[in-house]
Amino acid sequence: MLPEFELLMPRTLPEALEMMDESSKVMPLAGGTNLLVDLRGRLSRPQTLINIGGLDELRGVRVEDGYIVVGSAATIADLKRNALIAKHGQALRQAATVFANPLIRNRATIGGNLAYGSPAADAAPPLLVLGAEVELLSKDTRRTVPLEEFITGVRKTVRHPRELITAIRWPIPPEGSVGVFRKLGLRKADAISVLSIAVMLLHMDTGDCDQLRIALGAVAPTPIRAAAAEDLLDGGPLTPEVIAQAAQLASEATQAIGDIRGSAAYRKRVITALVQRLLTNLAKDTKEKKH
Amino acid sequence: MLHGRVLSSPYAHAHVKRIDTSAAKAMGAVVITFDDIPTVRYNERIITIPSVLHKDHYVLADKVRRMGEAVAAVTAETEELAERAVRAIKVEYDVLPVLTDPIEAMKPGAAPIYDTVLLGENEIEIDHNIACDRSIEQGNVDRAFAEADLVVEGTFNLSKVYHAQMETKSAICRPEPNGGLTVWPTTQSIHNVRILLGQIFDIPLSKVNVKRVPIGGTFGSSIQMNPPIPICAALALKAHRPVKLTLTREEDAHDHTRYGEQIHLQLAAKKDGTLTGAKMEAIVDIGAHNIQAYSFLGVTVGWLVSLYKIPSVRYHGTAVYTNKAPSCAMQGFGNPQVTFATESLIEELAEKLDIDSLELRLKNYVGMGDTFWGQGPLVRSIVNSDGVPELLHRGAKAIGWNDRPKSGSETGRFRSGIGLGRGFHTSGAGAPQPGDVIDFSGAMVKLNVDGSVDVITALMDHGGGTLEALNRIASEALCVPLDKVNMAPAETCSTVYDCVTHATRGVYAGGGAVLKAATTLREEILTTAAHYLNTQAHALTLRLDEELGQGVVYTPSIPDLTMTLSELATRCWSESWKTIAAVESYRPVHCPPAYVTVFVEVKVDTWTGLVHTVKAVMGSDCGTVICPKMAIGQLEGGLSKGMGYALYESNAWNTDGQLISGGYWIDSKTSGISESPRIDALAASFAHSYEPSGPFGAKGIGEAAMNPVAAAYANAIRNAIGIRFYELPITPERILIALKKKERMHEQE
Repeated sequence: MLPEFELLMPRTLPEALEMMDESSKVMPLAGGTNLLVDLRGRLSRPQTLINIGGLDELRGVRVEDGYIVVGSAATIADLKRNALIAKHGQALRQAATVFANPLIRNRATIGGNLAYGSPAADAAPPLLVLGAEVELLSKDTRRTVPLEEFITGVRKTVRHPRELITAIRWPIPPEGSVGVFRKLGLRKADAISVLSIAVMLLHMDTGDCDQLRIALGAVAPTPIRAAAAEDLLDGGPLTPEVIAQAAQLASEATQAIGDIRGSAAYRKRVITALVQRLLTNLAKDTKEKKH
Repeated sequence: MLHGRVLSSPYAHAHVKRIDTSAAKAMGAVVITFDDIPTVRYNERIITIPSVLHKDHYVLADKVRRMGEAVAAVTAETEELAERAVRAIKVEYDVLPVLTDPIEAMKPGAAPIYDTVLLGENEIEIDHNIACDRSIEQGNVDRAFAEADLVVEGTFNLSKVYHAQMETKSAICRPEPNGGLTVWPTTQSIHNVRILLGQIFDIPLSKVNVKRVPIGGTFGSSIQMNPPIPICAALALKAHRPVKLTLTREEDAHDHTRYGEQIHLQLAAKKDGTLTGAKMEAIVDIGAHNIQAYSFLGVTVGWLVSLYKIPSVRYHGTAVYTNKAPSCAMQGFGNPQVTFATESLIEELAEKLDIDSLELRLKNYVGMGDTFWGQGPLVRSIVNSDGVPELLHRGAKAIGWNDRPKSGSETGRFRSGIGLGRGFHTSGAGAPQPGDVIDFSGAMVKLNVDGSVDVITALMDHGGGTLEALNRIASEALCVPLDKVNMAPAETCSTVYDCVTHATRGVYAGGGAVLKAATTLREEILTTAAHYLNTQAHALTLRLDEELGQGVVYTPSIPDLTMTLSELATRCWSESWKTIAAVESYRPVHCPPAYVTVFVEVKVDTWTGLVHTVKAVMGSDCGTVICPKMAIGQLEGGLSKGMGYALYESNAWNTDGQLISGGYWIDSKTSGISESPRIDALAASFAHSYEPSGPFGAKGIGEAAMNPVAAAYANAIRNAIGIRFYELPITPERILIALKKKERMHEQE
């Protein structure tokens, strides 16, 4: 059962930041789908929880200065049904549809998914290919950190104990861009990813070549970008040979470990196959579109 | 009511050296340790007769033999206080070497998990951690193998999976002013809980009253009296207050599993496919306690010789203690394990002999008129109803059996295959003579003054519709409308004994008891009516009058000579005569096979190793189907649990004896609705069969529904990718490794 803790219920964001500032032994609580399990298992022992899940300032998706801005307490279910996400965050929307199960999706938040720092966070690879940044606020400071720098290790992030994630944002992708997400779990629903992949083709209307981004989940201590594979694909046509080589490079970018869900060798092998598949489909789709 | 919590051992094997409970007591909690419990060794499960029953369990442990074993317990005013108190107890352990592999555990010099246990009332020594073993032989095995044209063999590894039953184990115990106890437990047998609590705490059984609580599924996890029940009783007796104790899901996952085992099986056959002999060696991982290993070893070979006619068989089974969760019955009691091995080898035999495996099954299966002894060598009976040919032919047509690809001929990323598993379970464990398993039921039926009927039985219903079936049996037997029949709440003090709802016996044996009592009641009704109608009882009969909504006593030749059941019972009441009631015990002398056939079509993704279930066709011969919708639910549930066993579930321990999943369900759960085939691709149907010994022709269904499923999957995967798997679960990773190995062998060729 749950240990005893103090629960604070701020009514506004400033009030929440004030409470966060009072002690370093506080923990923000939003959906609680990871945190409460850890509390029950005594893996986490905060004395005080601050419920930020109900703060209006942290909900919703909006467009701001050419960016899509998602409030950190937006639930995964919110993302799944939001029209802006469907248009400007396709891979994220796909991740939201296969995220855990409907009950969890109604509670879990995008901020919580990143703050937990899990290598298997399903929101992370789509946000990495979107080039997302994390907005962190404390009582006295505000900063924005690229997602690639935000998660630093297994369950480790750069968030200071007094900081709150308030929003996640990314530049609106150029018209015609395409994003996809695939996850492999040991069940079709309610499964932690054995591995996950997001791929995004940024359509360059400037006449430059399209840019490809690839991100991988659950194959390294943090969700990662497959930079070498991206470089190889940069500007060139997506021929079967290049795709095969890129898939190999993506697999080499991983530092997969074996765990209860799969061995390192299995992960590397399946990453190669799935990256190859996703890129092949993407090449086919864009070719069809051009004709 | 107070709330209880258990202090579980973090170690898998250790002596408890010292327990300091002072801090917990200072908080106001009542605490119990080994020093507070009766030093009575018992077996949680008393289905096995006392003389061959091994007893190695105390209510709380002075030596822990698995992670999660209870060493102390507390009870307090609130759950929060109980939780704080249990965490304040300090225990010093003397940690011992941990044994998680049964083969290692049997080696000379391995740490002894037990020095002695009780067998019946006698103390016996345990050598090499072997709890018990059994050798069974019939026919001339050496000749059968010498004269065989072909022998197929395999070593099959089956994991210890968790029951994943709906409710976690739980109990409420209330001490009574007369020194007794009232108990509300999660159990499959209220009477066995009563007997055990009476024995352990030395309370007359007349003062131990155990109540039937609705339960949403058990899969065998509560055949035995589970650890929280006596712990809760001990807390209530010490605190002199009612106590509730419920395990968390994580605790529950550490508590019991299916039997893990390694089966080495050889089948000998003639060229024409006739089976002539079998050799079987089973090493059974029973975990930290011997719950029913002796019976388990008996049924293990029983399932084999009852699946197929094998004239000669040599079997040796060894049950080994390890420092893991105790193994206990789980849907099939060893039958899914043996059926997986046997149906895999039958398929292999058919391939080698180039015979259609369905024909090979029809040629050799134990069917109409054959003797079989699934529930052990002493539980023999003759098959009197057999829908197997109908089920096999209908299922083959529905799945497209004749059009299935040749094994391993598929290419490309996704490869499809069709597999068949055929199996059965005994409907109970009844036989002409008593064996080493206790199997009988009891029931009371009584007629009320308005013509309605109470059915009173201690039988449990685990969500499968068992009690509803019993109502229907009483309604049919007494010609009373179903809505006037009611299943009474049950408790041990006002019901007669029923052994337990397990072994696919609920409808067949529990229903048989209700039918026997209803038949006696019917005689009583006719005799009593004969008195009022001035005739002979045997001139009268019963019919249901739909218009009156009543059962009516009448004699066909004199239409006016009639009485409704309400009139009859009312006269008996108003004339201060009697209640028309009957009570009976019923020992079934058969345990007819409930047959099930399962065809599955799978699609294997050779890139990821994921297996997708495209289609499933399930057929059941459960005799007369009493609750058709519930019975279809049993088949669909059996498919789901079997699929989990085949593809997904594994409870694995590391070498320190720690459950790797930590008991968290996210990584150890069974298959969900998303894994099932689409509703229009899942067919379930029944054979047209009638079991002469069953109530209105009924047999069982529950465990049979699951028994052949894993075999069907293994055969379908073999058909799809040309690879046979000998170990469950067949995970994506194991599939990829096997595919890679196959590719490499091809390249070398």
